[in-house]
Amino acid sequence: MIEKTGIVDTLEERQPYITRKQEKGQEIPLACDNNSLAGAISQRACVYSGARVVLNPVTDAVHLVHGPIGCAGYTWDIRGAKSSGVETNRSSFSTDMKEIDVVFGGEKKLSNAIDELAGIYRPPVIFVYSTCIVGIIGDDLEAVCKTASKKHNIPVIPVKSEGFKGNKSDGYKAACNALKQLIKRPEKKTVEKKSEIRSESKKPDIKHSKIEKMEIKKPKINILGDFNVAGDVWLVKPLFEKMGIEVIVSMTGDSTAESISRAAEADLNLVQCSGSMTYLAKWMQQEYGIPYQTVSFFGIEDISIALRETAEYFGSEEMKKKAEKILEAETNRIMPEISRVRESIKGKKAAIYMGGPAKALTLIKGFAELGMEVVIIGTQTGKKEDYEQISYSVRDGTVIVDDANPLELADLLVKQKADLMVAGVKERFIAYKLGVAFCDFNHDRVVEFEGFDGFVNFAKEVDASINSPVWKAVRQRTLNPEPLEPKKTMVESGQEKATIKEEVSEKPYSKKCKGLAPKPEFLHSGQDAVVESEV
Amino acid sequence: MTKRNYATVNPCVMCQPMGSALAFKGIENTMILYHGSQGCSTYMRLHLAHHFREPVDIASSSLSEKGAVYGGRENLKKGLRNVINRYRPKVIGVATTCLAETIGDDVPAIIREFKEEEGIGDNPEKDIIIIPVSTPSYGESHVSGYIKSLDAIVRKFTEKPESPEKPKIPEDTEIMDYMENMEIMGYTDILEKEKARESMGNAKSPGMKKEAPYPIKTSNGKLNIIPVESVSPADVREMKEILAQTAGGYIFLPDISDTFDAPLRDHLPKIAPGGTPLSEIADMPDSRASLGLGVVSTNLAVKYLETSHGVPGHNVPIPIGLSNTDLFFMELVRILGCPIPEKYQKERGRLLDAMVDVHKYLYGVKAAVYGDPDTVFSLTTFMLELGMNPVLVTTGSKSRNFEKRIKQIFEEIRPELEPVVLDGIDFDSLKDAVKECSPEILIGNSNGRYIARALDIPLVRVGLPIHDRVGAQRILTVGYRGALELLDRITNIILEATDTFTAPVQPESEIYAGNGAENEYAEELQ
Repeated sequence: MIEKTGIVDTLEERQPYITRKQEKGQEIPLACDNNSLAGAISQRACVYSGARVVLNPVTDAVHLVHGPIGCAGYTWDIRGAKSSGVETNRSSFSTDMKEIDVVFGGEKKLSNAIDELAGIYRPPVIFVYSTCIVGIIGDDLEAVCKTASKKHNIPVIPVKSEGFKGNKSDGYKAACNALKQLIKRPEKKTVEKKSEIRSESKKPDIKHSKIEKMEIKKPKINILGDFNVAGDVWLVKPLFEKMGIEVIVSMTGDSTAESISRAAEADLNLVQCSGSMTYLAKWMQQEYGIPYQTVSFFGIEDISIALRETAEYFGSEEMKKKAEKILEAETNRIMPEISRVRESIKGKKAAIYMGGPAKALTLIKGFAELGMEVVIIGTQTGKKEDYEQISYSVRDGTVIVDDANPLELADLLVKQKADLMVAGVKERFIAYKLGVAFCDFNHDRVVEFEGFDGFVNFAKEVDASINSPVWKAVRQRTLNPEPLEPKKTMVESGQEKATIKEEVSEKPYSKKCKGLAPKPEFLHSGQDAVVESEV
Repeated sequence: MTKRNYATVNPCVMCQPMGSALAFKGIENTMILYHGSQGCSTYMRLHLAHHFREPVDIASSSLSEKGAVYGGRENLKKGLRNVINRYRPKVIGVATTCLAETIGDDVPAIIREFKEEEGIGDNPEKDIIIIPVSTPSYGESHVSGYIKSLDAIVRKFTEKPESPEKPKIPEDTEIMDYMENMEIMGYTDILEKEKARESMGNAKSPGMKKEAPYPIKTSNGKLNIIPVESVSPADVREMKEILAQTAGGYIFLPDISDTFDAPLRDHLPKIAPGGTPLSEIADMPDSRASLGLGVVSTNLAVKYLETSHGVPGHNVPIPIGLSNTDLFFMELVRILGCPIPEKYQKERGRLLDAMVDVHKYLYGVKAAVYGDPDTVFSLTTFMLELGMNPVLVTTGSKSRNFEKRIKQIFEEIRPELEPVVLDGIDFDSLKDAVKECSPEILIGNSNGRYIARALDIPLVRVGLPIHDRVGAQRILTVGYRGALELLDRITNIILEATDTFTAPVQPESEIYAGNGAENEYAEELQ
């Protein structure tokens, strides 16, 4: 029986987006990949945010936001993507449109701004993002960018990211379209080789194609969908280098305009963030015949799969041996710490709410390796195939939710009795207030989570949060000293009745606050009340 | 200086809807909804969550392409409906974003339609109150958004039912421009004007007793307090305490001391409890007087209460520092005729004591400050009192009155100093200015930390947002106690930066280094 309603109290229109995992093999009745519901306070942002998260890590580019000050202001340096070179991307550039620009058009201001910035910073590329207003007033971004490009002799690439034109996934596409314009066609001889591969792979979504042993030329790959948050990709590249593979560029973590332009020289693309980068990988396969595989670099199992499949693709025995050696050495190195953490947290329950499905999937495995089970899993932008995969990987009884909002998440955390939540900063304080430990897996984090060392960091952070003694203290929310005289009424914890025996203060405000308590509909409507967590 | 006229690099302001969020979240049982695309609400929630470390719920009407073409009427109504169903607020603030304004949605009309459809009347006791505010992000800055929202709130709760909805301020008037119409008054002038009004008031109604400085109508005996810029929850708590002990009855709008600094309790309520009670806002026209905090920008709410309801309004600077807090107290005395409690006299004494204790460490120390106009104004006054030398005084918002006010205060306290005063700047221009002035200390929000790092100058974090240190919601700067805390922070940072009290370097002995060396007297000592 498919239990569709009543998992958590929410709006009628939101019920199809929440479901519980039933027995295997059943069609998952989850609505997803739609526009967010007005007023439901979705955690998603807009198209511009999708484009920004994908493109922002390009380190030496000038990212110019054409619009009012807010869009650029709130996205200033929130990505946490690290750079080994210049950090031009950590400045926030905007044309700061004012009312007069909205009325008379902002094209002139934009072209002047581009001229100014090109002259001062001399970047190798400029990305120009459009915002909501630009879409409405009809500034012709392409024309302005084309002229500027000719004038300054660098690519000036417009990114069509008006906030209202779709949702975050459309932003990813816009960013990928921008990246496409940076990738240069490699020289003739490699193209011929690629055409051999193209004829072999008939179906466009084939993930695997064996080729003969490569010549002395070093095998090259790209990593798509790794944004080097907190230095993630720096823990992954060495693994490939030890195997004898050159990583040309990771899109877009720690990338430069120059390294992106060489991306088409690769033999294989490894796609980590499938939500954002599959579009680009598919295009590269069509255009340059470079096949792609979806991998993840989080968790021992997934890293092993990634390295082994890459070695398998290149078909070199030597590489396979090297891969096995690396895997064995690294796994043995980190096993003591992982085992120690597993002992202290096994059996605990985790809730996952991520932006994209790739990370959510890989986290299920990661938690399994740490001995924890997943009781809630959700994403902002997952699609049907992704949810099917998720549903396959989780246990029965897990709640699966798409595009959740704070009230639903709070209710679910309590109902499913989660001990730990993995999400971003908007969800962090909901978890904390409910007494649930938290691990920040979003763009804010400052610690690497990918690769072997990264997994140890993750395990340590989960351990630190779950086992911290603060939760013991949190269990008793209100201090209730024993009354000295028996006639004073004992106050129930948490209930703010008017008979509270506290000093009556003259402050009118606090009096009013207490007076409000008996009218629950203003504070929290009856059944919807979030009950105290049992953690 | 890098001359840039067109591009803004690293903005020093936030946009208008942010100001409205800060204002509406200070009223009891309120939700706020942005009419526009979803990104606006998500990003501002992120920003506020980083700063206050609290969950912040801001709804959005999630305008899509269809909405942009055909109008956002349906989205807005749906959004309102859903927010009401889930959160059951008493008040909903609807702030427009640049998208909604540009497509030309008539938000007040849509709200009226919505109320008719849902059967929501205008009875403030029973029905939900929906307050629209026009805050496109291409308008001035979050400061003006804050001021406009407070004005809209006060109007909504205090408009007389017979008269039709009063026309709002025309959108093309910049709030900062209002000052152009007013004469530039020094504080002494303000006080003289009040005295003149006082005698006029007494002359009009000679039968009134001379005790109360102002004629009280059917007054509730309370005092309205309305700041022009957002202060931290700790600041609000401090001011409320002061008012409770002096004014007795007061109405503080907006009160974020609980909504943005909620304790960890048994329930996680849908709407954070706290905020100015609605009944009190409705009661504002019957107060004795309104005290506006902030003199650089115009306080529209105070102005409205004065012109439409006859509540005398006074504006003092935000009470940061000795003389500004003194002014605050003196104004309270003047309006209410109450004594200054001994507790605050003592605190003032302690502040004086502290100022004397540290005066030599601070004299002539060059400082640069940036932030919101009125906060910067008050901070600058404080720094001048301490003997510091604010060489660079800047604000991100454009404000015509800012420079005049700052230069004025320098004239009064340290006329020999010549600061560089800039408004409407971004951080890149600030960096250039900082390079030229070479201050020893930087005061402002977290966004300036890259300048502090690049030029190796310590940063004292004040303002919004502060996301790279904890305790942003507990930073106290107002009142005598706030001045003490600020003074301590500034002085200690300078002492650390200059290493004034250098710690000794202990001589190292080989024996302790563990090289196997032994104390040659070891045997004798056994």
